[in-house]
Amino acid sequence: MSRADRLAFIAPRFSETGTIGGAETLLKQLAEHAAAAGRNVTFLTTCAQDHFSWANTLPPGRRRCGRLDVHFFPVDADRDISAFLRVQAEIDCGAPISPPDEETWIQNSVNSRALCEHLRAHGGDYDRILAGPYLFGVTYNASRVWPEKTLLVPCLHDEPFAYLGIMRGLFDRVAGCLFNAEPERELARRLYAYPDAKSAVVGMGLEPFAADPAAFARRRGLTQPYVIYSGRRELLKGTPLLCDYLLAFRERTGRDLKLVLTGSGPVDAPPALQEHVLDVGFVSEQEKHEAMAGAVAFVHPSVNESFGIVLLEAWLAGTPGLVHAGSAVLRWQCRQAQGGLWFRHYSDFEESLLRLLDDPALRRALGEAGRQYVRREYAWPAVEKRLFNALNSL
Amino acid sequence: MSENLFEINAPGVDVEKLVAEIHAAVEKKTSEGVYADARIARAERTNLARLRDSDEFLNYYLQCLRDATLVDITDFPIRERRRLLGPALVRLKQAIWNLLKFYTYRLWSQQNQTNGLLVTAVEGLDQKYAAKVRELERRVQALESAAGVPASAVQPPLGDPRTGAGEGA
Repeated sequence: MSRADRLAFIAPRFSETGTIGGAETLLKQLAEHAAAAGRNVTFLTTCAQDHFSWANTLPPGRRRCGRLDVHFFPVDADRDISAFLRVQAEIDCGAPISPPDEETWIQNSVNSRALCEHLRAHGGDYDRILAGPYLFGVTYNASRVWPEKTLLVPCLHDEPFAYLGIMRGLFDRVAGCLFNAEPERELARRLYAYPDAKSAVVGMGLEPFAADPAAFARRRGLTQPYVIYSGRRELLKGTPLLCDYLLAFRERTGRDLKLVLTGSGPVDAPPALQEHVLDVGFVSEQEKHEAMAGAVAFVHPSVNESFGIVLLEAWLAGTPGLVHAGSAVLRWQCRQAQGGLWFRHYSDFEESLLRLLDDPALRRALGEAGRQYVRREYAWPAVEKRLFNALNSL
Repeated sequence: MSENLFEINAPGVDVEKLVAEIHAAVEKKTSEGVYADARIARAERTNLARLRDSDEFLNYYLQCLRDATLVDITDFPIRERRRLLGPALVRLKQAIWNLLKFYTYRLWSQQNQTNGLLVTAVEGLDQKYAAKVRELERRVQALESAAGVPASAVQPPLGDPRTGAGEGA
């Protein structure tokens, strides 16, 4: 295959200024780095910003955003949301779904006929079309237009949607897949017998940074050790579990360990823990990195991740990870980096945390191993190399 | 308090070995009853709900249930920290305990019997259905290979990992 110079990236949302959604951020970053490397990059997305309402809040049209030529298309207004929700509820329950119902679900998901029309008219202008994540109608329908040149960036999770027949069709149809981590590729192999020859593990790059480990505690008046979690706070991310575990840890061990949270969403902490939780919400990247650098550990309690970006950031800050063993990806990252421990249940959590608290040398060794791993595997030059190899060979 | 079983002398750490050591320490402490604590049961509710489809976790919880099933009804030493009136208070408490234990023994032994039966029933059900599922999986595999269907043997996880009310909605 010759060098793929003309690239189109497709994601359901695009943020001109900040970040929205992990998968969208991943696609935007890959697009920006491909453009910086001299490739001709177009980004196709919708006018929506909110992932609950999917309202068309941005004006449609073509705009220049940094190095990217971005085309915004409206989300279809005629979707049958009640039909979508009815089937989604059945999928969530693990009920068997008929092929027509699967089609009803995906066709009433987030779609943009205008985006697909554009692809039909201009798809010949692109050597490769990269679309993701896998569970949106936009991705599904766009992959039907030029399947032979479409590469899926699925951000695949082990969840009921992944078991639908239409998803097997999507994976079979496209020219290849770019996965974020080896366990994600393994999941595709297990679910769809997806051949290794049609895929590559690429991931996302991170810029190294320097952070003063004492700065956050000094600024916020923290005098006690703390653990940190960054990201959305919700049941599916495991934050209620983290709060319950930390309360039990404090009560059982008598250790005055605080919890620092950055990110968005309500914190559902038990009343007895609330005064020991410091919720700083959205903070600057610099402050987030400083908060990570000063923590005893970065705790990631989620069991369903396709790529732990915040864990990689914590390692860059020199902080060890403590992750839920139920997440194959986070566990794999800890093993690969030699930078973190994993817990199956509270007892593991308590024992691991006590060791990290009592052994600064262990913390330093794990944090440093993590930092070296990220610098080696997730520096942008390494990621770009994997990306361009995949673009040229798949 | 944690026991430090190793020292870090090299820049790298073998996390696999370290986690195995932590698991061994947890197993030892579990057998000593260190984690038989209502606060842990409370903290684990969310974990159990999220991981109810995992065999490994079910086995762990069954083990915990087995360890915690019997209420301790043996006599215990009654002590009093207050110096003044201490001996008198101890005698009073002992007298109260002697009056109560006839009733509490009866109550707790019935409770122990119920707990024991429930654990046995849950374990029995688990074993029965695990064997049934294994047998069905074996038959499906045999039928698939006879029909030339590529092996998939995958079932969706129960529950709702990423619905987030409107994700995709």
